[in-house]
Amino acid sequence: MAVKAKQLISDLKNGLWQENPIIRLVIGMCPTLAVTNTTENGLAMGLATSFVLIASEIVISLIKKLIPANVRIPSYILIIATFVTFVDYFLKAFFPGIAESLSIFVPLIVVNCLILGRQEAFASKNPTRRAIADGVGMGLGFTWVLVVLGAIREFFGMGSIFGFTLLGEWYRPMVIMVLPAGAFITLGILVGIMNYISREGK
Amino acid sequence: MEKNSTKNLILTLSIIGIVSALLLTFVYQWTTPYIQANQAETLRQAISEVLPGSEEVEEVEIEGEVFYEGFDVQGNRVGVAYQNSGGGYNGSIELMVGVDLDSEEIIRISIVNHQETPGLGARITDEEYKSNFSGKPFGDYTVVKTPPSETMEVQAIAGATISSSKTTRIVEEAVSIINNAYGGGS
Repeated sequence: MAVKAKQLISDLKNGLWQENPIIRLVIGMCPTLAVTNTTENGLAMGLATSFVLIASEIVISLIKKLIPANVRIPSYILIIATFVTFVDYFLKAFFPGIAESLSIFVPLIVVNCLILGRQEAFASKNPTRRAIADGVGMGLGFTWVLVVLGAIREFFGMGSIFGFTLLGEWYRPMVIMVLPAGAFITLGILVGIMNYISREGK
Repeated sequence: MEKNSTKNLILTLSIIGIVSALLLTFVYQWTTPYIQANQAETLRQAISEVLPGSEEVEEVEIEGEVFYEGFDVQGNRVGVAYQNSGGGYNGSIELMVGVDLDSEEIIRISIVNHQETPGLGARITDEEYKSNFSGKPFGDYTVVKTPPSETMEVQAIAGATISSSKTTRIVEEAVSIINNAYGGGS
């Protein structure tokens, strides 16, 4: 089961750009649109999802041979839900501020199709080391897009980034940017820009 | 034994379920004290915000409702605080109201928990809105969109009329609950 380092790096890079979950695969849209009204929320959501993704990819690739095909989906969901509950308690205990602002979207990580999708498409078919690389890549890919989205929306919607006010009193915030409509507009423009860049490269 | 036999399916799911439950039991026991400490801290901060100058807080239960009585260094009652919640624009709003029973006035309010729109309804936590209630006599309040000209008027946050008026209703209700419990009953 010799997995070449080259393969691992390409698995890792895959999630960051070519198959980026948000701008390429366009999955996991619910948290993407709902919690990116501030940079901090975007980052916290990205990291929480990454943790669940990496942990469950490891477990599932380890026990993939033991799970009968007929119950693989309920098994995956059970494993994912365990890690999500862990994250939920952990945030509430040590980061109550973040837990409060993400509120219902932490338990909802269970149904993020990015996570289940990667188990089905990758972790259940590949060795553990490749699954870790895939989890880290996909997780980071998800996180960076969430942070960029959050930063753009917070900057235009509140004139600040990570809670630090950058624009002075003269700036009249574009309130639409922190509302759900702003998420759709920003995401659309971002996906458009990414498509343009990758087309230029060809 | 065949891999996809019913027995095997049940066994697999049961084992995963048991292992997961065991793990979560440990996580729960580990995090619960911290979560409770956080909640107690939030409550303590809210009480000291709405009853400034109170050194000691006593929990009093009257007719099934919990009130917090604040006392200063000399042991005089500063006021009474009550936590009330109700529906906001996006979700439930929890807030703490502190009142002075002698002058029958609100001292301050503090928003404990809310899910209002950031940048709009979330501004109910700003001093500008909360100060609307400081020094208000007990009674019913009217939400207005211009700077208030009468004592019972509360100025709404621009672009968040619903959040403003819902919050006002929750404050009103809290005041009347305190008033009934402490026998004001005007």
